Amino acid sequence: MTDVLRAPAEVKYAEELDWLESVDDGPKPFSWRLSPRMVRLFVLGSERADGLDREIPQKWFGDRSFVERSIVTLASDRGLLLIGDPGTGKSWLAELLAAAICRNSTLVVQGTAGTTEDHIKYSWNVSMVIAKGQSRQSMIPSPIMTAMEQGVVGRFEELTRSTSDVQDALISILSEKYVSIPELDDDNIVFAQPGFSIIATANSRDRGVNDLSSALKRRFNFVRIPVVTNKRSEAEIVRFRTTELLRRHRIELEVPPTLLDILLQSFADLRAAAAAAGSDDEKLESALSTAEQIGVLEDAILHSQFFGDRTLRAATLAGSLVGSLARRAPEDLAILNKYWHGVVEPRSKADGGSWPEFLEGGREAIATLS
Amino acid sequence: MSTEVDASGVEAPDRSAGISAPGTSVPGTSVPGTSVPGTFAPGISAPGISAPGTFAPLREQLRSAATTFAGGPDAVAEILTGIVDDVDRALGEDLEIFPVCHHSPAAALAMARRLREKQPAVIYLELCEDLRPLLEELRNCRLPVAVQAFASELDGFPAAWAPLNIVAPISEASAEYQAIAYALDTPGVELVLVDRSADHVFQWTPTESSDPAADAGPESADTDAAPDDPGGQPAEEAALHGEAVGIGMGDLRPRFAELRSYLLHHGKVRHWSEWWDQYVEQPLADADYDTYRQVMVLIGSLFRRLRPPADSGRDDRDEDRERYMWTRMRQHMAASGVDRSRCLYVCGAFHAASPVEEFGTAPGTPDWEISPRTGTRWLYGLIPSSHSAIERQFDLAPGSVSIAQAGWAKAVGRGGVTPYQLVGQPAGRKRGRAKKQAAAPAAPAPVADRLSGFLSRPPVLDEVDEAELLAWCVDIVRLARRNGYLASTADAIAIFETSILLAGIRNRARPTPYDFSDAAVTCIEKDVVPGRRDVRRLCDILLGGDRIGQVGYDALPPLARDVFDRLAPLGLALEARTIQRALLDLTAHPEQVPCSDLLWVLHRLLPDGVVRPIMGERRLGERSIQESWDLGLGRHQRAVIELGYEGITVEQVLEKRLRRSVWAPDATAAGALAAVEDAILFLPSRRFVDELGGRAVDLLSAERTVDDAPEVLRRIRRLLAHYRNTEPELPAWCQSFVTTGYAHYCTLLPTAFVDDETGVRQVGAMLGFLFSMESLALSLGCDRAQLELAVRQSHPEAPAKVALLWAAQSQLGLLSVAQLRSRCAELLTNPLVVPAFPHYLSGFVQALEPVPSLAPFVVEVISEAFARLPDPVLLPWLPKLITTLREQAPELVPLLVREAGRTFPAGLAALDAWVPPWSPDATGPASAVPDAGAGGLPVSASGPLVGLLRDHPATCDAVAELLGCDTGWQSAGSPAAGARSSEAALLLHTHPMTASAVADLLADLLAEPAGSR
Repeated sequence: MTDVLRAPAEVKYAEELDWLESVDDGPKPFSWRLSPRMVRLFVLGSERADGLDREIPQKWFGDRSFVERSIVTLASDRGLLLIGDPGTGKSWLAELLAAAICRNSTLVVQGTAGTTEDHIKYSWNVSMVIAKGQSRQSMIPSPIMTAMEQGVVGRFEELTRSTSDVQDALISILSEKYVSIPELDDDNIVFAQPGFSIIATANSRDRGVNDLSSALKRRFNFVRIPVVTNKRSEAEIVRFRTTELLRRHRIELEVPPTLLDILLQSFADLRAAAAAAGSDDEKLESALSTAEQIGVLEDAILHSQFFGDRTLRAATLAGSLVGSLARRAPEDLAILNKYWHGVVEPRSKADGGSWPEFLEGGREAIATLS
Repeated sequence: MSTEVDASGVEAPDRSAGISAPGTSVPGTSVPGTSVPGTFAPGISAPGISAPGTFAPLREQLRSAATTFAGGPDAVAEILTGIVDDVDRALGEDLEIFPVCHHSPAAALAMARRLREKQPAVIYLELCEDLRPLLEELRNCRLPVAVQAFASELDGFPAAWAPLNIVAPISEASAEYQAIAYALDTPGVELVLVDRSADHVFQWTPTESSDPAADAGPESADTDAAPDDPGGQPAEEAALHGEAVGIGMGDLRPRFAELRSYLLHHGKVRHWSEWWDQYVEQPLADADYDTYRQVMVLIGSLFRRLRPPADSGRDDRDEDRERYMWTRMRQHMAASGVDRSRCLYVCGAFHAASPVEEFGTAPGTPDWEISPRTGTRWLYGLIPSSHSAIERQFDLAPGSVSIAQAGWAKAVGRGGVTPYQLVGQPAGRKRGRAKKQAAAPAAPAPVADRLSGFLSRPPVLDEVDEAELLAWCVDIVRLARRNGYLASTADAIAIFETSILLAGIRNRARPTPYDFSDAAVTCIEKDVVPGRRDVRRLCDILLGGDRIGQVGYDALPPLARDVFDRLAPLGLALEARTIQRALLDLTAHPEQVPCSDLLWVLHRLLPDGVVRPIMGERRLGERSIQESWDLGLGRHQRAVIELGYEGITVEQVLEKRLRRSVWAPDATAAGALAAVEDAILFLPSRRFVDELGGRAVDLLSAERTVDDAPEVLRRIRRLLAHYRNTEPELPAWCQSFVTTGYAHYCTLLPTAFVDDETGVRQVGAMLGFLFSMESLALSLGCDRAQLELAVRQSHPEAPAKVALLWAAQSQLGLLSVAQLRSRCAELLTNPLVVPAFPHYLSGFVQALEPVPSLAPFVVEVISEAFARLPDPVLLPWLPKLITTLREQAPELVPLLVREAGRTFPAGLAALDAWVPPWSPDATGPASAVPDAGAGGLPVSASGPLVGLLRDHPATCDAVAELLGCDTGWQSAGSPAAGARSSEAALLLHTHPMTASAVADLLADLLAEPAGSR
C-alpha cells in the first residue's frame, strides 16, 4: 500500500503485474510488457480454466468483447477512443490498459475548453529560453510527446471537450507518428517509438459540442461502452469500487447487502423512468451511471462514519441519493418526489425490510431541499 | 409467437443411472466396458456396432478424472460415465443412428459422405410423419422453405386454439435435406418420417393452455439472440413464418441456462451459435464418420443429462416422441421386412441417446401405444422461409444461419464431397448431379473409440485463409461506403489486421466470421450510424445475407395456382419479390376485367400491402374505368398459400368467410349488411346475397340494442339506392329488412329515448331510419300509427334527446315550427336552463339526419344561440359542436352550411341592413323567407318549386284530383294565393314525398332526349 491518496493502477497492482509478466510466455507486440491475452486477463480477471497459480481479480466489469477490441486496437496502427455516457468506466479501463501494457498510466492530457495545442505537443520553459535559448533542454514535452519518446501509451481524457483545432493536432501524431519542432535547427523531430499509442475517452453526452473531424475519426477506432444495466454485474462493480474507497478512507464499515439491493433497485427504477420520459424535463439530469451509484454509496458511508453511528442506515442512503441526484430545482426534486411516492412507498408496504426507513429518509431529504 | 417444439430435453440423472433397457450398463455397478450383450447377437458385424469394451478406457479415464477433481465418485462421475454409456448404447444399436444438429454444415457434410458410403435403402427421419407427401414438392422450391401443417376447423382441441399452424423449415445446409434429396432421387430408397404427427404436437399440449404455441416454446434463458445485438433484421423477412409453431430437427442447445452461460463464458464467445461453430462445427467439419457420430451423441447426452428440474414436463414429451419414433420404425421394419443394416435413422443428437424402454430394434422390445389422431382436418403446404425467419423462430443469433450456409458453401466448394440436391430444384449455384450408386455399400466395420482422441486432442488450428479474409475486408469497406460510412482502403487494412489480432486473443489462428465482424465494427463504426444499417448488420449481409426461399408454382396449393393463372393476362412477373405495378385500362381492354375482379377479391381477403390499389375504387354504384395496382404476391407468398388452406378458389374463400362472419355468435345486423355489400361487390351470386340479406333481417330483429343504428342506416340506404338503380324491384330480403326495421325501431324508440346508455346519435339514426324509410315501409304494409304511438310514448329527459323528440314531432306534424321557435325562445330566456341550451342545439343538429327539412330552423336556432347565449356557456361548447359534427355527422355539415348561406347576406355591406328572416321585424321582399304562414313552414311565392308547378300543372292537377282537392290553381300575385299558401305549404310540408318524387320523375323525363320517348 502506498501513501498517496489514489495510486495509479500500475502502482496499485504492481505486484500482480510483475507476477503476470513473469509467467507470460505469449507473443508481445512492440514493447508491450504483457501479451494481449495477459492484458485481457489482468483487466477481466482470471478463471480456473486459465490455469494460473494465483487468482487475478476482475478490475473492470463489462463485456469481454469491448476489452478485446480495445486491446487489439492498441496493438494496431490506430488510436483507441472509448466513448460512452459519464460514469461507465471509460477512464478506468483506459488506465488499466495503459498500466498493463506499459506500466505507465499517468501520461494524461485532460481535454478542457482551455486545452491548447501546447498541451498536446510541447511548450517552452520561458526563463530557460531567455537564459539559454531554445533547445531540447528548455522544451517542456507534453505527456503525449513523452509517450511517443518512450514508446508507451498516452491518454487523452475527454477529447471532445477540447476545441476542434486542438483535437486536430492529434492527426499528424497518429498518422505520421512524429512531432516536428520547427523552433529548433537540429534534433527537431521527435519520433514515436514502437509501442506508442493513444487512448482517448469521450463523453457521448457532449456530442455536438466539439465534434471530431472526419480525419481524426478515421485515425481512431471507436469502442462504445454502454451503461451497465445488468444488475448482477452492477452489484459487482459497486461492491468492488466501494471496497476500494473504504480502504482508501480507512473506514471499517460494512455495507449491508439489503441496502446495496435497495440502491441498485432504485437506480434501475429511475433509469426505467428516464427511458420512458418524453422530454428532458421529465428525466433526471444525472446519467444514472454506475459511477453515480458509487458516489451515492460513498457519500452515505462517509456521512454515517463521521456524522452517524458508524453504521450505514437506509435513511442515510436515501438522503445521499436525493442529495446527489437532485441537481435542478424544481425539476429533479419533482421527479424524485414522484418516484418516492409512486414507487418507493408501495414497495415499502409490499416488501418491508429496510424500505420503510429508506422511504422516510428520502421524504425528509426531499422536504429539506424543497 | 416464435416457438419451437423440438424437444430434446434431458434425462434425469437418477433415471439414467437405473436404465434397465438392454444394451446399457449401470454406472457404478457394472464392470467398466462391458455393455450387456443383447442388442445384437455376437458375431453379427453390423456397421457401426461397438464391440464390448470399446469405451472402457475412456470411461475409466473420466471416472478417475471425476474422482480426482470432485474428491470422490459422485454425481459428476455418474454423469460423465453415463454419457459414455449413452454413446455406447447408441452405437450398439443394430439400426444405424445418425445424430444431427440444426443447420450444421458439419452434419450435412457427414450425412452426404455417409449416404454415399452406405447407400441405405430406408431412411427414417425425425419429422412429423404426416408431412411426408409434401417433401416431393421440395424439388419445385427454392430453399429455404418450410413445410406447413394447418388446421382451422378443430375437432378435439379447444376452439380458442384455432387456427393450429406448425412449420418445419428446411434449409440447404442441413443434414435432413441431404437425406431427403438422396432418398427422393435414388430409385428404390424409401424415406419414412417417424416423428409424431402435427396432430400429436397439439394433443400433447396441456388443454388448459390458452396459447398452445407459447406453451411449446423454450424458456427465455435459452434464447441465443446476442444481448448487444440491435436486432436489426428487417421485420418482413423475419416474420415469414407468421404465427406458426416451429418444428425443428436436432436442436442441440443446453437447456440449462447456467451451463450455457458457463460454456459461453469459458469459450470466450458471445452466443451459442459462435460456441458451436468454434468448438464443434469446425473440429468436426473434416472428421471421419465415427468421430462425428460419437461426438454428436456425446454432446446430445451431455445436454440431456444436465437439465433444469423444471424441464421434466418437456422431457416426458421428448421421451414420448422417442417411444413414438422407435415404435413406428419397428412397425415399418416388420411390415416391409427390410434388413436393419440397410436402414439409417436420422434424428437430433438429443434423441440418439435415449433412455426409453422402447429404444432399439431388438426383438422383444416393447411397443408404445400411439394414440389416434383427433378428428381435426389438417391441411398441408409449403411456405417460403428465410434465414432470418429461421433464426427468429428458433431463437438463434442473428446471422447464424447465414454463416452456417456460407460455411456449407465453402466446404462444398473445397471439394471432397458432392452434396445431394433434388433434381429439378432451382438453385443459386449449378452443381453436378451426384453419381448414383457410385460405390458399393460400405462393408461394415467395428467401431473404435474415437472419443478419447477427440477429447484429449487440442483443436486443430486452421491456416489463415488469407484470400477469403481479404475479400471480406475489401467488400465490407465497399458496402460501408455505399451505406454512408466514410470507410476507405485504410479501413480494409485495419480490419484485416484487427481480425487476425482478435482471433489471436481468442485462441484461433483463423479469424471466424464473428471475429471479422467484431473487427469491422471496431474499425468502421464511429459515433453515429449514417444510414439505415449499422456495420454489424452490413457484416451479416456480407457473410451471406438473408436468403429467402420461394415455393415453386407446382408446389403451390390450387388456390394460389389459380390466382397466378388468372392474373397471367397482366403479363407481370408475379413471383418476383419486388412490388409489381399493374395498370388496367378496363374500357380499352375488357379482357382485364376478370383480373380486376380477382384483384379486388384478393384485396379484400389478403393482409394489407399484398395487393394495394393505387388508383381505382370499387363501391356500390361505382366502377373504375382505369385501375392501378401494387402487387406484392411474390413477396407475400405465404399469405396467398395460407389462403389456399381455406378453399379452392378465392371466391369460395370469400364466400366462406362472409358466411362465417354473419353466422358468428357476435354477428350484428350492420356486419351482415356489410357482408351483403361485399357479396354484391365481389361475388356475382344473387342467391348468396339473398341468403346474407335474410340473415341480416334475422339479426336485426334479434338485436336488443341500437348501438349500430347509424351504421345500419348508412348501409341499408346505400343498398336501397343500389337496388333502385339496378333492379326493377327490391329483393325480398330488402323489403323484409325495411319492414322489420320499421317495426323494430318503433318498438325500441321509447326505451332508446330514456336509456342513458343510448347516445343521441343512435336515436337520431333510428329516427332517420323510420322517417326516410317510412314511405317504403308504409307501401309494404307497415302502419304509421305505430310510429306516432312510439313518438308519443317517448319521454326523454336529456336535453339533446328532448330536442330530437321535438324534431320528430315536428316531422310528424305534431308540433309546428312556431311552437318549436317559442319553446326555444323560452329556453333562452330562462336563466336556469341556459347552460343546458347547447345540448338542445346538439340534439337539433343530430335531428338534421331524420328531419332534413328542419335545416332553416336549425340555422335559426344556432344563430339565436350565438346572439343570445352568454360567452361562458357558448365558447366552451363551440369546439365541441365542431368536433361532434366532424366525427358523427360530416354529411350534415354541407346541408347546414348551404342553408346558412341562403339565410345570411352574401356581402359585408348587406349585413348592416340585414334583418333575420325569423325576426318579427322582417317584412317585405327583403326577407328571404317572407311568409311563415299561420304556424306553418315558410313558403316562398317564387322560386324553382313554384316555377316547376306552374310550368307543369298536369301532375299537380292529377294529384289534386286523386286527393280530392278541387280548389284549383291560383296566381302567385292574387290575394287568395296568400291566404291559401299556408294550406299548400302545410300540405307540401306534411307530404313532401309526393312532390319530391314528382320532381325526380320530371327531372328524369326532361333529361331524356326527346327521341327516346
